[in-house]
Amino acid sequence: MDAVAPLCASRRTVAILENEPVARDTFRLRLDDPAMARSIRPGQFLMIRPANGSDPLLARPFALYDVIRDASGIPIAIEVVYIVIGRGTAALSRLRPGDGVIAWGPLGNGFGPPPDGPVVFVAGGIGQTPFLALGRWWLGGGAYGEGQPLTSRSSSATLLYGVRSKGLAAGVGDFEAAGIAVELATDDGSAGHHGYVTDLLARRLERGERPALVVGCGPPAMLAALSDLVEKFDVPCLLSLENHMACGFGACFSCVASIRQPDGSVDLRRVCVEGPIFPSRDVVRPPTGH
Amino acid sequence: MVDLNVKLGRLALSNPVLVASGTFGYVREMAGFIRLNRLGGVIPKTVTLRPRAGNPTPRTVETPSGLLNAIGLDNDGIDHFRTHHLPYLRTVGTAVIANIAGEDEDQFVEMAAMIGEEPGVAAVELNISCPNVSHGLDLGIDPFAVERLVGRVRESCPLPIIAKLTPNVTDIVAIARASADGGADAVSLVNTFRGMAVNWRSRRPILANDVGGLSGPAIKPLALRMVWEVARALPNLPIIGIGGIGEADDALEFLVAGASAIQVGTATFADPTAAETLLDDLTRKLDEAGIGRVTDIIGTLRSNRERS
Ligand SMILES: Cc1cc2nc3c(=O)[nH]c(=O)nc-3n(C[C@H](O)[C@H](O)[C@H](O)COP(=O)(O)OP(=O)(O)OC[C@H]3O[C@@H](n4cnc5c(N)ncnc54)[C@H](O)[C@@H]3O)c2cc1C
Ligand SMILES: Cc1cc2nc3c(=O)[nH]c(=O)nc-3n(C[C@H](O)[C@H](O)[C@H](O)COP(=O)(O)O)c2cc1C
Ligand code: FES
Repeated sequence: MDAVAPLCASRRTVAILENEPVARDTFRLRLDDPAMARSIRPGQFLMIRPANGSDPLLARPFALYDVIRDASGIPIAIEVVYIVIGRGTAALSRLRPGDGVIAWGPLGNGFGPPPDGPVVFVAGGIGQTPFLALGRWWLGGGAYGEGQPLTSRSSSATLLYGVRSKGLAAGVGDFEAAGIAVELATDDGSAGHHGYVTDLLARRLERGERPALVVGCGPPAMLAALSDLVEKFDVPCLLSLENHMACGFGACFSCVASIRQPDGSVDLRRVCVEGPIFPSRDVVRPPTGH
Repeated sequence: MVDLNVKLGRLALSNPVLVASGTFGYVREMAGFIRLNRLGGVIPKTVTLRPRAGNPTPRTVETPSGLLNAIGLDNDGIDHFRTHHLPYLRTVGTAVIANIAGEDEDQFVEMAAMIGEEPGVAAVELNISCPNVSHGLDLGIDPFAVERLVGRVRESCPLPIIAKLTPNVTDIVAIARASADGGADAVSLVNTFRGMAVNWRSRRPILANDVGGLSGPAIKPLALRMVWEVARALPNLPIIGIGGIGEADDALEFLVAGASAIQVGTATFADPTAAETLLDDLTRKLDEAGIGRVTDIIGTLRSNRERS
């Protein structure tokens, strides 16, 4: 109820270091922001907009993709990976190194320490972005934020990654380099499994595999299918929601989702300050149809 | 040093920069981004008598240089506001203006009386203009209803009363005059303009509520015109200007047009530090222009149709 943005969140004007295409319509944006790089944790996000002009007016939310470190391991920059879908992301894609953006963050709750055992990430569309830093962290490959060092680590991490078509798969090499196994699914059959990404998880669960934790991020229909699946097999699951946001800091009440409360009641909660990570069993799905 | 003090009826403010209801959460959300005690005052999100869930999502959509919203007065009700938000609001170090909305006149009166008993509240702003709940708009477009409502609220509540008006009327002056006749200390001009955004491929409006209220830079000229009209017709009625104000120049334009104070709304979403930056720039610009008191420029706009 009283949730606010993390105490370390602040608003800054920062310079773009890189803004490079990494897949079809998809770019990796590197920001010169050492303070953000030191404080942001996997699963958290930031709001970004071009520094000039009022159209587009509002910033857009993007998950932390990874923290960039110098040779001695000191965090110096952050990266996000985004796909161009509308005016805001199109405007970002036109910016060049040296241009400024206004950004605020780190925002949101982020992920907690790793479960003991194997983890499976299930991503649809651009929903893979939170999982690079998360996998790195949970596998013991890097420290994030100013929190305690990890006392345990995940035994393995797998990314099940669904895209419409092969050309949209972004950063597969980054995940593999971080020790995260990647399995693709495509709607058109151009790579990997021809079908839904949730089919890949269903196969594993039907084979008797029991991950210690499943984490999902993607479009609502995919998250709904994922929730059904993990419920059926009784596997713990977290979802990272991507609700439509205007402010990212809890002031506008745009981003609410129906979340089951500890007392069993259901309440609309602001995803930007109470999420974006929620246990899948607490996320109440809106009625289907329009 | 520029003297920034302003007075709106019985309400005295240390400077004319306020933040608009519904765009600043319950204020605690902003504490990490802005020095709250620098603002002339804060206006938390509208509270209603009983809790309201608000509208389904999507509740907002960006339009060219603007934002359409249909939040639907999502809030936990006035009891929660009093026990939960007010104790925090009393600590922020600036004027707290409670914004209330009733479903009918009686509810406004009841809520204003409740707020009137609370220490640490500087004024009450009546949201008789929310376009996303039918009652608010119906009430705010009828001069007789507005005069009676404001009059009854004044009897029930000792605090300065500000009527926040809808621009979705043919004659804003008539509503402002009714507010003044009812005893309002000031009027806030304006709330959002009714609008919509459409996805032609799906043949659906984008907002779950179909229609919403437009705010942001897109509405600034419309709001300015209304402030100017009311200021000319009712020179003794203090006005709080609202609508697309994001920078010091925007604020100064509203002040010369006749507003004694302004509210920063949607601009906070585009930059959480907007109100504080605006205050700094406004002070500097007045200083550079050799204006010692902000009150010296309020209402100084002259029509081009007047002879010099
Ligand atoms: C916590 C969080 C993390 C995110 N991380 C990433 C990321 O790492 N990479 C990435 O590419 N995208 C991410 N997104 C989604 C991204 O914010 C939207 O794609 C972006 O805001 C679209 O802006 P636009 O102006 O280009 O599109 P618009 O013109 O605003 O909208 C185009 C379409 O996208 C939909 N849309 C708009 N905003 C959002 C939104 N916030 N979430 C989902 N759909 C939206 C609209 O309904 C519309 O159908 C994230 C969203 C959230 C909430
Ligand atoms: C998301 C959003 C929510 C709002 N909620 C309220 C509200 O609860 N009560 C109210 O009186 N005005 C509300 N408003 C209207 C603003 O206070 C303001 O009058 C309007 O947005 C115009 O100013 P702006 O262009 O600076 O935003 C809201 C506006 C927005 C954008
Ligand atoms: S995006 Fe504004 S409250 Fe969450």
